[in-house]
This record gives sequence, C-alpha cells and structure tokens, in this order.
Amino acid sequence: MIRVRGLHKYFGPLHVLKGIDLEVEQSEVVVLIGPSGSGKSTLLRCLNFLELAQEGTIALLGRSVDPRKDDLDKVREHVGMVFQHFNLFPHMTALENIAMAPIHVKGRSKGEARTAARELLRRVGLADKEGAYPAQLSGGQQQRVAIARALAMNPDVMLFDEVTSALDPELVGEVLQVMKDLAKSGMTMVVVTHEMGFAREVADRAVMMDDGRIIEEAPPERLFSDPSHERTQRFLSQVL
Amino acid sequence: MIGIWEILQEHFIPFLNATGMTLKLTAVSLVLAMAIGLAVAFLKLSRHGALNWVAHVYIAVIRGTPLIVQLMFLYFGITTIVVLSSFWAGSLALAIHAGAYVAEIFRGAIQSIDKGQMEAARSLGVSHWKAMRLVILPQAFRRAVPPLGNQFIIGLKDSSLVAYLGVAELYGAALSAQAENFMPFETYMVAGLYYLVLVLIFTVLVQRLESRLDKANSGGKRDTRTRIA
Ligand SMILES: Nc1ncnc2c1ncn2[C@@H]1O[C@H](COP(=O)(O)OP(=O)(O)O)[C@@H](O)[C@H]1O
Ligand SMILES: [Mg+2]
Repeated sequence: MIRVRGLHKYFGPLHVLKGIDLEVEQSEVVVLIGPSGSGKSTLLRCLNFLELAQEGTIALLGRSVDPRKDDLDKVREHVGMVFQHFNLFPHMTALENIAMAPIHVKGRSKGEARTAARELLRRVGLADKEGAYPAQLSGGQQQRVAIARALAMNPDVMLFDEVTSALDPELVGEVLQVMKDLAKSGMTMVVVTHEMGFAREVADRAVMMDDGRIIEEAPPERLFSDPSHERTQRFLSQVL
Repeated sequence: MIGIWEILQEHFIPFLNATGMTLKLTAVSLVLAMAIGLAVAFLKLSRHGALNWVAHVYIAVIRGTPLIVQLMFLYFGITTIVVLSSFWAGSLALAIHAGAYVAEIFRGAIQSIDKGQMEAARSLGVSHWKAMRLVILPQAFRRAVPPLGNQFIIGLKDSSLVAYLGVAELYGAALSAQAENFMPFETYMVAGLYYLVLVLIFTVLVQRLESRLDKANSGGKRDTRTRIA
C-alpha cells in the first residue's frame, strides 16, 4: 500500500528526515511514536506530498509517485489526512465540509454528495449535526466531522496526526472510538499518537522515531513491554 | 446662519442630483478597485519575482503621491490613449488609486487565514486555486469587510476631487453654485452636510453587513455548552 525508501527531508539547513524506510500493508494500522521534533508530522506530510522530500521515493498502491510529473491532487485523493487542529472550514456546515471535495474534485452531483455525507455523519455518530457550523460543535465533534470529511473522498489510506492532542480529556474517547471502528472496517491507517492504550488495542505495528530516523518497529505489545533501544525505553517511561 | 437655509432650499434638488453622480462615481470606482485590488493582492502574494515587483511598485507609487496628482496624471494619460467621458476616466483614476489600498486589505485578509485551511483543502485533492476560491477567499472577504467599509468611506470623499476633471458631482455642484451665489461659506457647509449624511448612512450599512456576516459565520448563536473544561 505504502512503500517509502531512503526518504530525506531538509528544511533549509535542518535535516529533519534522515533516510526513512517504511512499508505499510493493505488494512494495516501503524502507529508512529517518538519524541516531539523527531519528524513524525513531517513524515506523514510527505506521505500525501504536503511536503516534498529532497531524496528518496514514495510508492502508493504499488506505483512510485514522481512529484514533478504526477498530478499530486490526484494522488492526494487516495490519501486522507486528519489534523491535530481539525482545520474544518468555518464558513461551511458539517455537511458542506464533508460534501465539498466530492462535489468540486470528483464532480459528484450535490444530491449524491449530500446523501453520502449524511451517511458518513451517521457513521461518526453525528447524524443530528449536519446543519451545525464548526463553531457550534465541541472539539470531539469537530474532529469526527474532520474524519468524515477525509473519508468522503474514499481514500485508500488515512493519516492521523495527533488528532486527539488538542482535545479536552473527556472528548478523546469518542474520537478514538471512531478510529477503532475505522480500523476494524479494514482501513489502512498511519497514526501519530501518544495514546498508548489505543496503539496497543488497534495497531498492528508500532514504529519508534527519533531524530529523523526509525530506530525500531515491532507489534505494540512487544515494543512497549520489551523495547530494544535505550532511547525507546526512555521515551516510553515518559508517556506510559 | 440664515444663509444656510437659503442655500439648502435653493440647491436642494441640484445637490441631490449631484449626490446621485457622487454615488455612481463611488460605486463604479470601488467595484473596479475591488477587482484591481484582488488581482494586485495575488501578484503581491505570488512567489514570482517580476509579478511581485510590479505589485510593490504600483502600491509604492500610489501611496507615495497625492491623489490629485494621480487623478490629473491618469486623466490626461487615459484620455490620450482612449476616448473616455470624464465620468469614466474619473472613475478609472479613482479605482486605480483605491485599488492599491484594497490590494493591501485583501492581501492582509488572505494571509490572516490559518495555513491549516489551505492544507486541509489540498489534502482532500482540491487544487490550489479551487481551495483559494472555495475555502480561503470566502473567509478572507468576511475579514476584509470592516477595513473595506473604511476604504469605501474614504473613496466616497475622495470622489470629490473628480470635480476638477469636470464631473458634475457633489463638490463640483458646490463649486459652481458658490461662484453664482457668492456665498461660499454656506454653500460648502451644505455640501459638507451632504457628504456627512452619506458617510453616516454608509457606516450603518457596513455595520449591518458585518453583524450579518458574523452571524452567518458562526451559524447564529455560539454553542458554548460543549466546551466545559
Ligand atoms: N515547515 C517547517 N519549516 C522549518 N522547520 C520545520 C518545518 N516543519 C517542521 N520543522 C522542523 O522539523 C523538525 C521535525 O518536526 P515535526 O515533523 O513536526 O516533528 P514531530 O511531529 O515529531 O514533533 C522539528 O525540528 C521542526 O522544528
Ligand atoms: Mg507533530
């Protein structure tokens, strides 16, 4: 599904990704963990080409993507992303947020897109909120709308970047539940998170990043209970 | 003070007609200024060096020279290139002037929209320009309404200078009236009153629009119930 080889990313003189190799299989759920500044967000953003890496290759669905030649808008249709700060469009209702891209990118009719959007709202437990503007929703509700918005494009992969970090503690559960359901439905997911309970329960693999490198990866139980790197141990003792 | 009532009565209808011309000038020049302003805002935001430079020079020249000099220069410049009525030449000149300020307003408003908005749209496969049109500009326009309203009021008053191009708008009407009635103090006072009333009406309209947009943006009342920390 995703195959990353030798990825290097620089921001000016700052070397942020230092040779990332990563593979994600169909329907696999991978969590990315690691200290702040280790490059987790940058890696996710490279996966949907919001950032372009200077070196290395990324293949999606078995096809290597060339940012200079390929239509990146087309590529992004296949890769959904959910952000820490939701980034819902404040001038659109929940329903309009979800239906916008299907209408304007995929050329769906308004009726068709709205029907599909309603179904997605139902799936994230917000059937009664279709007419609400983001400012009228709680953080947890906004994030669920954001997940529905990404799902509306029928992506093959979903990327989650610390999507519960900006939420009040009592609202984290409802968002994680939606993500668990999504994982169960077979969605391929790459999830940056500090929710170790979620990782343990849902993830097939946990990947530990430090200073722009992947330093180890293993099934979550094994990585959490028996990390082989001293750096991983230290990080886990801080978050667990 | 008796003179003021006299002037008010004597010139009520002619000044009203002239006010119509002032409003027409203001409306036409400001619509054109919005178009110029939006285009220049994009030039200024573009990463293309030459386009950027054009926008910078335009804005620097407009800001750095008096409006009356610009009006005269543009009027004679425009009318040597194309045959235009003084109304259209005046409107165009006013628009080119106001366009620089409107450009800065739009640029500021566009830049004030959170980067996450563009990223969220792009992550859905929406192209840059579609995201601009569907996501960024609707929010930016709302943010631009208060400063635009202010610029409109300035534009309304600036339109008086077009009298020197021979357009019979409000100030022009006062100019010719006082030449005939020999009561310049009272005549200009009355003209001033007309402008004042127009500006007050304008101010109320802009405030109405602002509060309507505010409501639309948050979908009516804000629901704070769900954000108990
Ligand atoms: N747009 C950017 N410009 C410059 N530096 C950046 C940019 N984005 C991230 N960085 C830097 O790259 C490093 C990795 O950041 P990030 O990927 O956000 O880490 P993480 O998500 O693991 O906390 C940090 O040092 C950060 O300051
Ligand atoms: Mg991050």
